[in-house]
Amino acid sequence: MNISFNLNGTATDLEVAPGETLLQALRAAKVFSPKLGCETGDCGSCTVLLDGQPVNSCMVVAARADGHRVTTMEGLLGDDLMVRLQTELVEHGAVQCGYCIPGLLISLYALMKQGLPAGEDIDEKTIRHALTGNLCRCTGYVKPVEAARAVAAAMEVPK
Amino acid sequence: MKVVGRNVTKIDAFKLARGEPVFTDDFHREGMLYAKVLRSPHPHAKILNVNASAALELDGVVDVIWHRDVKAIPHTRAGQSHPEPSPYDTLVLPPKARFIGDRVAVVVAESAAQATAALARLEVEYEELPALTDMDEALAETEVLIHEEPDPRGISEAGATNVAARIDKQVGDVDAALKDCDLVVTRTYYLPRVQASHIEPHVSIAWIDEDDRLIVRTSTQVPFHLRRMLARILEIPEARIRVIKPRVGGGFGDKQELVIEDLVSVLALRTGRPVRLEFTREEELTAARYRHPQRITMTTGVMNDGTIVANRMHVLADTGAYGSHALTVQGNTGQKVLPMYPAANIHFQVDCVYTNNPISGAFRGYGAPQGCFALESHIDEVALELGMDRLELRKKNHIKLGDTDPLSAKLGEGKEGLVRVVNSTGLDKAIELGCEAIGWGKKSEPSAPHLKRGLGMALAMQGSGIAGVDWGGATVKLNDDGSVNLSVGATDIGQGSDTVLAQMCAEELGIPYDKVIILSSDTDLTPFDVGAYASSTTYVSGGAVVKAAAEVRGQLAGVLGAHWECGPEEIVFSDGRVTGPREQSMTMGDVALFALYEAKIQPMATASHMSDDSPPPFAAQFAEVEVDTETGQVHLRRFVSAVDCGTPIHPRLAEGQIEGAVAQGLGYALFEEVLLDRTGRVLNPNFLDYKIASSLDVPDMVTILVSTDEPTGPYGAKAAGEVPIDGPAPAIVNAIRDAVGVRMYRIPATSERVWRGLKEETR
Amino acid sequence: MWNLQEYRIASSPAEAVALLRKGPGKGAYIAGGTDMLLEHPACDFVVDINNAGIGDIARTPGEDLFIGAAATLQGLADHDFVRDFAGGAVSLAASQCGNRPVRSTATMGGNLCNALPSADMAPVLLALDATCYIADEDSQESLPLTDFFVGPRLTVLEDRLLVGVALPGDCAGWRCASHKLTRTAEDISLVQVAVALGIKDDRIQEARIALGAVSPVPMRATLAETMLMGQEVAAVTPDVMRDVANIAAGECDPLDDHRASADYRRDMVNVLTRRLVTRILNSGGENREGGAA
Repeated sequence: MNISFNLNGTATDLEVAPGETLLQALRAAKVFSPKLGCETGDCGSCTVLLDGQPVNSCMVVAARADGHRVTTMEGLLGDDLMVRLQTELVEHGAVQCGYCIPGLLISLYALMKQGLPAGEDIDEKTIRHALTGNLCRCTGYVKPVEAARAVAAAMEVPK
Repeated sequence: MKVVGRNVTKIDAFKLARGEPVFTDDFHREGMLYAKVLRSPHPHAKILNVNASAALELDGVVDVIWHRDVKAIPHTRAGQSHPEPSPYDTLVLPPKARFIGDRVAVVVAESAAQATAALARLEVEYEELPALTDMDEALAETEVLIHEEPDPRGISEAGATNVAARIDKQVGDVDAALKDCDLVVTRTYYLPRVQASHIEPHVSIAWIDEDDRLIVRTSTQVPFHLRRMLARILEIPEARIRVIKPRVGGGFGDKQELVIEDLVSVLALRTGRPVRLEFTREEELTAARYRHPQRITMTTGVMNDGTIVANRMHVLADTGAYGSHALTVQGNTGQKVLPMYPAANIHFQVDCVYTNNPISGAFRGYGAPQGCFALESHIDEVALELGMDRLELRKKNHIKLGDTDPLSAKLGEGKEGLVRVVNSTGLDKAIELGCEAIGWGKKSEPSAPHLKRGLGMALAMQGSGIAGVDWGGATVKLNDDGSVNLSVGATDIGQGSDTVLAQMCAEELGIPYDKVIILSSDTDLTPFDVGAYASSTTYVSGGAVVKAAAEVRGQLAGVLGAHWECGPEEIVFSDGRVTGPREQSMTMGDVALFALYEAKIQPMATASHMSDDSPPPFAAQFAEVEVDTETGQVHLRRFVSAVDCGTPIHPRLAEGQIEGAVAQGLGYALFEEVLLDRTGRVLNPNFLDYKIASSLDVPDMVTILVSTDEPTGPYGAKAAGEVPIDGPAPAIVNAIRDAVGVRMYRIPATSERVWRGLKEETR
Repeated sequence: MWNLQEYRIASSPAEAVALLRKGPGKGAYIAGGTDMLLEHPACDFVVDINNAGIGDIARTPGEDLFIGAAATLQGLADHDFVRDFAGGAVSLAASQCGNRPVRSTATMGGNLCNALPSADMAPVLLALDATCYIADEDSQESLPLTDFFVGPRLTVLEDRLLVGVALPGDCAGWRCASHKLTRTAEDISLVQVAVALGIKDDRIQEARIALGAVSPVPMRATLAETMLMGQEVAAVTPDVMRDVANIAAGECDPLDDHRASADYRRDMVNVLTRRLVTRILNSGGENREGGAA
């Protein structure tokens, strides 16, 4: 079947099988930043944005993307917030093997882009909750969380 | 130091953060085929026949292979130096399945979906055999043999028993010494089967290039060992094989093994087409490798003043169906652990058995986490029985500066070892700083009556490479602009070794770090290195980098000395400049131009480094837990690691090693366990049920680097990667004991196990 | 890969049912798909109901809370109405279901229709007297959620479609608390307990205790509830709470599996029920009650 969707700002048509996952379809289309890690929606290495919401692309049928907007790291390389997140993660030493990092960054991006209700800060707890779906086996999450806090602290929070 | 000791930007971090296509699978070759493995549903069965005709009729299916199609060449899949101290008990495709999940046949097809569909259409005739999945039964059994090969090499008692490896080493006389002790404490500890769970699965792509060479692009820790092993298995010369290691998405020992590379190679050679094989997470958790499950019995004899006189450790371990790393992992369980308390009498015994369970192998810590759990739990038990403070007991007995490791000479990797003397230790300082950070002796108050808090600690030591075995090479080449190419066989698998080695190179040449262009691990392009394991890279491979860079510096000093009419030793390399004794000064770029175009030499050197020493890094680790006395749930509130890894080359990366190890170690302590049923079938082969720590499961972590100057290490460095995974489990379990009086002899200390312990306590 | 022949998209509940019945072969409804992609159920086609107009969350004129079957769990966790209803218990349960990316697409309806004994949304919805709305091609039926589950992985639906659930406006002011006991922070539940008490004039007018993962289907502990019904708050002493918890533990029928033993699960029903009742009653006049036990 054919699906038409907005991939990183570009109208895209892909031929997919009805049971194919969005992750399989993206990687077949040589969009390599979403990584395969578990195919059970647990590790988050394949996290992408579907209409701005973080999803495990291994847990979304590709057909579901028809008519929707899919954003991967490739589509956010020039985005100010994403660049800030990348920079802080790199500078805090939060990138070890890096396999989970694009997915983890997408989750942090979604959190910070969406913001929180007025009066709430993006604190450590919020960050940790936002990252429950992004397993990292290298860092113990210490430096990724520190880096995210640094970005959040520099953001203007609506009070 | 201008570069060493600084937190420079990790050399590959930006490209990784940008999601650039740098991993094995971020790559596509025209005409690539996809392989899938048919796995045995039986724990022990002869594979009589595989009928592939129905599978081959399916669209897209190109080839099916089983044991009739591949020459039987016994080998070990352990990625170790030649000759490997692991038994040659493995074939590419075995005529007998030895565990549920063993290889039976492999399908290649135009797509992964087609290959998967074809698996269901393979008709296999098995002859089932009695299976052994219990360690004790396997040890006692002499009729049912899991390995009965006619040509065993290194199988400890082939044809007679199921023992894969035995060790029995003694210093002094433990039995005699125990008779004179004031107190003898014996306890038994049980260690689970856990899995490395690197997020990138095993994945390899092999193809035949235009020169008819086999190219293997693979996620590995041991590219050079792989090349050698593949040459043997495939019966083609090493010269025809090139192994390329791109970025690796974590390894933790599980990629110190030939897990899939033989299959893609065989199939690429058969089909002439590129072949890709990637494990599913289920395969990772059933057919990759585990930390060996063990049962450890400790017997310790002490005097009333707390002097440890005798220590005996008996280990019964399950290597599963194959014996990769069987001898050496279990050797480490004692060798890396018992020297912490160098008693005059030490006895270390191992029985490591084959079973029809999935395969154990290398996993960060390599046997030491098991031994450390037993020993450090046991020290707390001894202290309790003795009525002595557990910290004081440790301080009184732990190994000190200048002490000789009593086991080192007795136990090498499958042979006699080399004497190890402690030349640097920050252990006392680590204990002091760790106690201060956790608030040792000051228990905080829980927030509700059903909650109890406790503190626990553990000491750990490891090694820095395998003494007299591990070595690596490095090549440094100066370019026109003063930049250098640094080529190393040392294998960056995410830990940051490319960065650390580039720092050392820059420091040695007095150039900025960003002038080093590093290439790691391509068997055609870089010098040999044993690979990323045994905590060897910074210490061993770093030594090679320092030597090679120093040699290039010497070449330049020679050229410039002649030019400036001074002694080479008068020339200083610093800040990207080279300075002579009479105010001569050139940028490194100008020096390069001079060397290349005036002197007409290529400043370049390759150096090798091997160490006869393996200085131990030390760790003192501390946990604070809160136990729910009604549910048994353990909340790890805080964790402190104070680690002496010598002089850290990159402190932040060293901290990262420690923090990651703590997250893995706390999983070992509290929830990670691969569960098998009685037939050896894995009950939880996915991340839904094999839980690893998420962002919410890690505690408030404090990480302290206790810097020491190791005289044998590059820039005073020792290893950092493994030692911090040893202490978390015993520290946490000792904290549980402190909180609620229950000793968890078996980990993980799940809430149900703690609940049961509490019930028994109140009975 | 999941072996599917066709992906159909329905624009209304009736069309969804018709598309499912049309054949050929076996079909299944799909919304978020997070369970189906785990299990790859054997079917020839799926019917996507994300565009069938059943994803809304609304308050009816009678102040009932209606949750469309295709409402996502994250939508429930974040929704203002839901966060206000019965102290936000439904939002809390949704926020503890799966991880953040899963909740973006996983739906309440999917969680109920998959009908695992451990379905995370079931206990709190049972405790708040949820009614299910079920669509056929040309009719609609409603029934209490208690009657929806037939067995493990089995509901009354057959080939009909769950449209949504309604929580009666009366429950909006109930004090409700739930606890999901897990091995790690984000996990399938070993035991889940939800307690809801409707308290008026210091008397417990209504009591609901619902249990997850301790019987073939999510269940109510009705005997334990009866002990609380009509009681003066002051009369519910620690001893009474203990008795209530013991009765609830006696009502469940847990299994041994690789996650936990039946003994442990039963004792945890006891502990959690006591804690939740205690906490609700100790929380005073304030009706807002969420959070973990």
